[in-house]
Amino acid sequence: MNEIITQNLLVFGGVLFVIGMVGFLTRRSLILMFLSLEMMLSGVSVNLIAFSRHHQNYQGQILAIMVLTIAACEAAIALALVVSLYRRKATLDIAAWGELSETLVPKVVEAPQTLEEPELEFPKLTPAGLDPLSRPISANFDSHSSENGDIVKANTLEAGTHA
Amino acid sequence: MSLLNQIHSLAGLAEFVPSCLHLAQSVGEPVVAAEDLSAWTSTWTLAMVIPIVLGTVGYWLVQHGIVKSRASIGAGVALLGFALCMTFGFTPGTFESVILMLFCAMATGGGIGFLVAREPVYAALGFATAVLSVCGVLFMQSALFVAAATMIVYAGATIIIFLFVLMFAQQTELRNYDIQLNKPVVAATFGALLLATITICVTSADAMLPVRLDTTRTMSAANLPEELSSEAGKQAAKNLDAIDANLRFVPNSTAGLGRSMYTDYLIAVELAGTVLLVATIGAIALAQRTTETQS
Repeated sequence: MNEIITQNLLVFGGVLFVIGMVGFLTRRSLILMFLSLEMMLSGVSVNLIAFSRHHQNYQGQILAIMVLTIAACEAAIALALVVSLYRRKATLDIAAWGELSETLVPKVVEAPQTLEEPELEFPKLTPAGLDPLSRPISANFDSHSSENGDIVKANTLEAGTHA
Repeated sequence: MSLLNQIHSLAGLAEFVPSCLHLAQSVGEPVVAAEDLSAWTSTWTLAMVIPIVLGTVGYWLVQHGIVKSRASIGAGVALLGFALCMTFGFTPGTFESVILMLFCAMATGGGIGFLVAREPVYAALGFATAVLSVCGVLFMQSALFVAAATMIVYAGATIIIFLFVLMFAQQTELRNYDIQLNKPVVAATFGALLLATITICVTSADAMLPVRLDTTRTMSAANLPEELSSEAGKQAAKNLDAIDANLRFVPNSTAGLGRSMYTDYLIAVELAGTVLLVATIGAIALAQRTTETQS
């Protein structure tokens, strides 16, 4: 049943590759495009390792190490490029460098956008009890019960001693 | 394990539908046996293509604001579906394969989170999750050295990328280029087509090639030196068709990997070192601040 595991891993590598590809095509931030490329490379590495296990030799692992080396080189150069491009225009937008393309391509000026946050709705409790603003509670509200009165007196005494 | 057995019995139920389709197509021909690999793969192809389509539609909806972007929910649902489909593909529920599939599911969830998240920090977090889970997958596939090296390289790279994100992309509100993506519908459609094609091709019944041992390389398993060679490798080299699954040479020795790398692939290693050197020089030259006096 090792074949089934290998097939699963091939599909998994394809999933990672496609996630990276869609990310690379849709993202417009330079750093995130670079991350998408790295994810595509990791999908390729999974494929190579699966075939290494399948064919019972080390060749796939060595190819994966080569992929890793090239990924490290790419990371170094891409981050250096990001730094130098950010110094020029102070933006990570890939469309800011559209002037390098053909002159026939029209320039798209887009309005600034904001992300709409869904409004939170809190449940409202039905009002209950006395409204203390409209009907102030009288000072001798519970003076008919002697215990409560004693407690109130004790509290006031304590507050006085503390003050 | 009992849960897995139940899942596998469920998979046997799900096998019923494609075999019925097959029966309807070819009346008179014998239906494939349940033990046959092709029945499994047809079930599995179906089980993989449906989540691909659903995930693509979900991505469209999220990108157009119809569904509010909740990256965690989307990643969780995708992870669950992918894990279920991966589990369907298994006949033996061994411990090792279950762990492998868990790593696969974690990596897929991280990737979906990376794809859906708007904030660059969350996207970088999803990327780190995905890559570290991929390291786990490599580890379970007995590529120990590659897993460790990937972890070291990507851990360093991920820390640097977090620094970059914090330096450049960390504003109080999201920028325009983080919100509006570049033609998400077209990209997701083509991605789904590619993934469906890969899935159908890979999981078709006769897609897997037989094990082939390369005898031209010095350190191949077919002609390893005596102290390194396994009986399985020699036997497999003799008769390629009759390979017992239990008699397999597992390439999990780092020493063997090093021997193979420095005998079979010496020139490639030298070239890779040269490329690293050139890339280092190029990165330093690119990132250098050019002053007015220099230009």
